[in-house]
Amino acid sequence: MLAYAVRRVLATVPLLVLGTFIVYVLVAVSGDPLAKLATCNTCDQSAFDRIIDLYDLDKPIPERYANWIVNAVQGDFGPAVSYGSLDAGALVLERAANSARIAIPAFLIIMAIAVALGVYSAVNQYSRLDYAVTGLSFLGISLPTFVFALLLQTIMIWMLDGFGWRPFYVTGMRTIELDGFLDMIRSHVLPVITLVLVLTASESRFQRAAMLEVINSDYIRTARAKGVPHRRVILRHGLRNALIPMVTIWALDFAALLGGSVVTETIFAWPGLGPLFISAVTQLDLNLTMAIVMLTSLLVITFNLIADLAYGWLDPRIRYE
Amino acid sequence: MTAPLLEVEDLRVTFGTDDGDVRAVQGLSFTVSEGETLAVVGESGSGKTVAALAIMRLLPRYARIEGSIRFRGTSLLDLDDDGMRGLQGDDLAMVFQDPMTALNPVITVGDQIVEAIRTHRDVTEAAARERAAELLDLVGIPEPRRRLDSYPHEFSGGMRQRAMIAMAISNDPKLLIADEPTTALDVTVQAQVMEVIRRVQEATGTAVMLVTHDLGLVAGTADRIQVMYGGRLFESGDTDTVFYGSRNPYTLGLMASIPSAVGRTAHRLEPIPGSPPSLINLPEGCVFGPRCAFATDACRTEPELRAVDAATGHATRCHRADELPALIAARAAPREAGA
Amino acid sequence: MSEAAIDAREGITTESRSFGRQARDRFRRHRLAMVALVVLALLTLSFIVGPWLSPYAFSDQDFTALNQGPSLAHPFGTDPIGRDLMVRTFIGGRYSLRIALLIALLTTAIGTVIGAVSGYFGGVVGAVVDQLINLFLVVPALIILIVLAARYGSGPNAIAVVIALLSWPLIARIVRGSFLQSREQEFVLAARAAGASTVRIMFRHILPNVFGPIVVNATLLIGIAIILESTLGFLGLGVRPPVPTLGNLIAEAKGALQTKPSAALIPGGFIVAITLCANFIGDGLRDALDPTARRS
Repeated sequence: MLAYAVRRVLATVPLLVLGTFIVYVLVAVSGDPLAKLATCNTCDQSAFDRIIDLYDLDKPIPERYANWIVNAVQGDFGPAVSYGSLDAGALVLERAANSARIAIPAFLIIMAIAVALGVYSAVNQYSRLDYAVTGLSFLGISLPTFVFALLLQTIMIWMLDGFGWRPFYVTGMRTIELDGFLDMIRSHVLPVITLVLVLTASESRFQRAAMLEVINSDYIRTARAKGVPHRRVILRHGLRNALIPMVTIWALDFAALLGGSVVTETIFAWPGLGPLFISAVTQLDLNLTMAIVMLTSLLVITFNLIADLAYGWLDPRIRYE
Repeated sequence: MTAPLLEVEDLRVTFGTDDGDVRAVQGLSFTVSEGETLAVVGESGSGKTVAALAIMRLLPRYARIEGSIRFRGTSLLDLDDDGMRGLQGDDLAMVFQDPMTALNPVITVGDQIVEAIRTHRDVTEAAARERAAELLDLVGIPEPRRRLDSYPHEFSGGMRQRAMIAMAISNDPKLLIADEPTTALDVTVQAQVMEVIRRVQEATGTAVMLVTHDLGLVAGTADRIQVMYGGRLFESGDTDTVFYGSRNPYTLGLMASIPSAVGRTAHRLEPIPGSPPSLINLPEGCVFGPRCAFATDACRTEPELRAVDAATGHATRCHRADELPALIAARAAPREAGA
Repeated sequence: MSEAAIDAREGITTESRSFGRQARDRFRRHRLAMVALVVLALLTLSFIVGPWLSPYAFSDQDFTALNQGPSLAHPFGTDPIGRDLMVRTFIGGRYSLRIALLIALLTTAIGTVIGAVSGYFGGVVGAVVDQLINLFLVVPALIILIVLAARYGSGPNAIAVVIALLSWPLIARIVRGSFLQSREQEFVLAARAAGASTVRIMFRHILPNVFGPIVVNATLLIGIAIILESTLGFLGLGVRPPVPTLGNLIAEAKGALQTKPSAALIPGGFIVAITLCANFIGDGLRDALDPTARRS
């Protein structure tokens, strides 16, 4: 299994190189760092030279990329020029921790709700709750994140206007250390709810489909024919099989959440990876953009691998050689 | 004679679909006695599997089941779910068609058998495992103790069906329903699995209801045969009576399409023309009429099931049952002359 | 569905109605999909006709009514420089819907061709497609989308191309699977034996088999496209103002959420309505075109 894991990781290396190269080129050709200096009257040639030297502008893009990746592999992602030349790698890690503060609770809630709803509505197919779940998940899939988040914010504003008080904060992150437990919770709730809504809709539909397939399978009928009680049929024979296909979906969703949710974090002014990425891209901060791309890619690769290994653990038919 | 083990009376099963009601079983009545082997034979869509699942109460909830099913005097259709579960897998057990999909892929074979035992018997895990190993041994799985910890995918198709049978008989059922137990298997394995069923019947004394489309399979196994078509019983009687004295064109057609028919009277392979009817739009009159070589105007009304010989219980559903032997002799004559 | 039910249903296969008619009947029976179809038609009609009927033009400024909430004169309110938000929403809907349709069309075309070619010929083309699909599993498509959109996605057509370039793998995978299966099947071998050209075999003989899933996905794509496009617009990465897509309208209004939430929520409601309709229609089409998927 270790050999399999190593082989899997090695197989993704070329893709990772290709992917980061594409993004590097796209960003590198997008903006000329010298353009900003062109309007600067007091800058002399030495300023230009410093910039050229800083970005290796006198070298072709592939060579610049090669330099970048050699440094990146050693953990040096260069200075983030749009953030006062802080170290890009450190900045990204700090923001990633902030993203995780809402990503982890959101993911746990999503998993719990989606499994419960999906299983319940599959077992009680065509019941009222099944229709309700289906209807809600349609709404969830059709409701853009930013519209839902704006709706939540509007409600909070109404509450503040109406009662002079609101249960949750609309923007910004507050921490236990600086603001106390209560404020920490009040600032985390809305972003978490938003993340939950977005993914619960699709995950519970997947879970429902997976469970439906399982409960209509022959081995479930066999279990019933043995006289096994309903709950046990559903949980022991059904659920375990129905969770297997969910593993990949969880892995991808969790990786995406940890990688920062651009929309949610932007709307709630959450200092996570999402807004950082948008500002890095729009300000053409190459080092910062690439550091984020690298981190999100590594997250995806890691969780995909974990999902694959979990698969083998859950499903005895799969063996890795 | 004591009361039969299983009495089915006027069983009707209907599935409501968007395109209309599917009448899968229509007015089916039959009995199974203690220890006997009854073969239920018919093409797919004849209602034989649906009838079997109705007895086990394993049909989906949207199936409408009417009539009466009595097992050892208990009306199964009136039992609540808990009461029914007490019978399922205990006195009333079932083996399914496809052993590839009928076992749970993520649970070991041993655990699945142990579960069947411990659902109905208050025994320790260790005792149940011991019993499971004995059962695997009985159905002819080598190294049964080691095989308990195997997953279904580590078994061949025939082995899986043996394991299914072991699981079904784990609580010494009174009635074992085997739904096409050999259809999904290789021909060579089919005979072995039939042999296993015979062996467990000897060992446990269970009655067997063998549901199959293959008349050839039941010749040496069944005490009685009952032929179904279009959701109806078409003929029933002792195995020998049905094989050598059938009074039903459909049964005769089924026999003619067995590659190696019983006895030496074998003829050319003669498939029944056409295909089974749509269960939504059944033909007027005799449902087999459109495919029947002997159909006449009389067959525009549906024939009743009637006794041919009350003593042996031979019954058939055909207007021309009495003329049938003569009709067949007349048809066979020119062919033999030509040959 | 249990085996028994399948057994019971086997009798239905002798139905004489044509597949097309059956599909149409099944779609009509799907009440939500029919309602969605009507609603979407009405929305489209109002986007097209609404601006003509309105007394205001798209950039007319009413200095007596700056930054107002909904009123009789301006049912959706006005923006900070006195422009009528109803007209702007309708025009925005027009752009958003046009972009979404273009995305669905382009994505489907790209995905179908790539899927067909890679499925039919396999080999190098197939391997390249595989790796491209895997690439998106390593570097999230959304990342590339944001980078591309920020740089190239400023016009309505450009953003459609950018989104389509990143959304085709799903349809390609579906089409490819079907081509891989069909390639060796008898009707294809028969057509080849009869001397049909490769292109003819691919598009006349095999493609119709995947028609259902393609249409269903194209419909669902409209919903996804509306959301993607408006999200990019909202983040300031999509179509640049003054083109008023629904996403841009919300982006303009989000600063005034405190005083005038309607300006953001009304276009938001339109986005939800369009997406819901597309999803319901897609669901109805799936039931109609792929009856086997119904009960699962």
